[in-house]
Amino acid sequence: MYEPSAIAGLVVTAVLTAGLYALMSYGLALVYGVMKIINLAHAGTMMLSAFVVLELNHRFHLDPILGAAVSAALFLGIGMLLYVLAVRRVIGAPPIASLLLLFGVWLCAQNAAYFFWGSEDQSIVTAYTLATIPLGGVPVPVVRLIPFLASLVALGVLSWFLRSTDLGKAIRAVSQNSTAARLAGIRAERVGTIAFGIGSSLSAFAGGLLTLLFSFNPDFGHTLQLKSFAIIVLGGLESFPGVALGAVVLAAIESFSILIPGWRGSLVNLLAFSLLVAALVLLPGGIASLLERRGKTE
Amino acid sequence: MSHVLRAARVLPIFVLVLAACAPATAPAGGNAPTASAPTATEIKVGAVLPLTGAFSASGNYFQQAYQLATDEVNGAGGLDVGGKKLQVTLKILDDGSDTTKSRSLVEQLATQEKVNFLLGGYDTTLVQAQQGVPDQYKIPMVEGGGAASAIFTRGNKYLFGTLATIDDLGNITMDFLKYWEDQGKLPKPLKIALAWENTDHGKDYQAAVNKAAKDDPGHFQVVLDQSFDLNGSDFTPLLTQVKAANADAFLSDAHLPDFITMHRQYTQLGLKHKFVSYGARGPDQKGREALAAAADYLVAGLWWTPALTDAGSKKFTDTWKAKFNVTPDWFQALGYDTARVLYAGITKAGTLNGDEVRTALAGLEFTGALVPGNKISFDATGKPKTSFVMTQNLPNNDVAIVWPSSIDGSKPAVVPMPGTS
Repeated sequence: MYEPSAIAGLVVTAVLTAGLYALMSYGLALVYGVMKIINLAHAGTMMLSAFVVLELNHRFHLDPILGAAVSAALFLGIGMLLYVLAVRRVIGAPPIASLLLLFGVWLCAQNAAYFFWGSEDQSIVTAYTLATIPLGGVPVPVVRLIPFLASLVALGVLSWFLRSTDLGKAIRAVSQNSTAARLAGIRAERVGTIAFGIGSSLSAFAGGLLTLLFSFNPDFGHTLQLKSFAIIVLGGLESFPGVALGAVVLAAIESFSILIPGWRGSLVNLLAFSLLVAALVLLPGGIASLLERRGKTE
Repeated sequence: MSHVLRAARVLPIFVLVLAACAPATAPAGGNAPTASAPTATEIKVGAVLPLTGAFSASGNYFQQAYQLATDEVNGAGGLDVGGKKLQVTLKILDDGSDTTKSRSLVEQLATQEKVNFLLGGYDTTLVQAQQGVPDQYKIPMVEGGGAASAIFTRGNKYLFGTLATIDDLGNITMDFLKYWEDQGKLPKPLKIALAWENTDHGKDYQAAVNKAAKDDPGHFQVVLDQSFDLNGSDFTPLLTQVKAANADAFLSDAHLPDFITMHRQYTQLGLKHKFVSYGARGPDQKGREALAAAADYLVAGLWWTPALTDAGSKKFTDTWKAKFNVTPDWFQALGYDTARVLYAGITKAGTLNGDEVRTALAGLEFTGALVPGNKISFDATGKPKTSFVMTQNLPNNDVAIVWPSSIDGSKPAVVPMPGTS
């Protein structure tokens, strides 16, 4: 039997994990929302960003949080360049073209990382790696709190940016109807370039912060990317609050699964992918569409 | 329609990009032979190793070790085969850490390169992919990179392993715990929380711990038996179960990334047990860097360690440091032993005939090995009759050999963990 403090610990774990999952899914959702393509290079961006943060830490003793910010800025440019050079050529083509292209980019990133850094596991240790903050008797690891807070900030900034700035409104317009946006004078190509850059930047920021929690190698990010897919499908593909809710659902299911009698911990990924299939079949518009329908009914 | 045409234009380009980015299969090793049939003046030995991809670090260690053992043989004038000295040529191919490619490249060595003998790959999954080929072509293979006992349950006659299997890691850990219980340093019976990765590797460990508990309930009681997936992102739920189990000892079998993540979270949750072991993980330098003082006093079971003080191990460590400028780990030592075992088997047979060398290997007792006990021999399945050495991390990045007590330089372990008595 679990004591109340253990259950409270699971609640905290679920919330913190949800923040982590949401943070690594925003970039994927933004790119899908604007371009209607699944960014299979997402894991590659997170992995490369982790190595960028490692280099910044080793060479300049830069804290991984600052390193993640620098890497995010770097990948804003890299993402835009990738869009201009390659991705824009497959926008509007059958989905297989963009999937293959971005899968190829992922493989290139992985092989480049093997070439430059080898296959050994790398990790970054900071003064706060093992530190915790007590919260109502539950020890909250600082390195899990940081991605959670970053996720809240990212959600707030993204929501403000999309709602209140001209560029954000243009991104929303292209996301809703690309043709109508063009007719209204919006330069959809330019918007796409910036959106892909921002999406890559968000992925890089997440990847950089993940170095606080995990060791990594060029294979890093596979499982996390698959979880991101489950989350954005569950959340409704284009809605950031939906993504955050999707992350909460997945994290809560994973954390509380141990309460199921006879549960095997190795089945936890099965849960995530079952959720992906269930969401695709039963809730194709995700949680966001459910909330929208409920709002209209009320 | 225009979309289709655009896609048709773009796709071939990216197929080319994908092809260009795929890991290359390149011959490696300093003595690449020609593709001609073996002559009476040489012995052709082939190996397929992961020189690129996920296991490339370990694959390269094995390559260096195979080469070192081969260079030593050739430097001494060649391998004695029936009174005649023959040079050994080593052909190593890169499987890119890909199981499918690994098997087909071993077949290529057998059919196109016409090698006389094979050395195995690394890790368990790649060895399992390769293991059918030796019997198919009746070419003996000695491997030191696969640790799952399942490798030796498939009836292969031409496959011999030098790496003690993970069930034996579980066994020696339980022997160690029993000793300390009998010394009054650990509670009897010892309540164990067991977490194992869901692979053949982890299942071996789980089976050994559970068997010991079943056979000796007076000493052991497993109060939690839980699995986890490789490369997990969050072990907090599992560790919550560990905490709720109220165990005396925490035993986990994990690969390095999971060991780092799990033990960081273990420490963050404030868990403490009288004994903690992550199987073969603990003294790894990467792990110690990532965990700092949290890795102190962890106990690990290893196939070899540079902390061993026997003459062979000392000489090997010095040779390796001089040649490669790094301290060797068990990968290099096992690679070196693996090649030397094959060469000893060939010399014992006195011929290059595959059947006769297989028979010689089956009855071989190789002395002068680096592994604990300094002997390597095989049971009827080709599984090695070797064991582990247990080490304990000490403060200031120190490592002590703590079991078996018969090993030179062995010291009593710090049991229970400081701060838990």
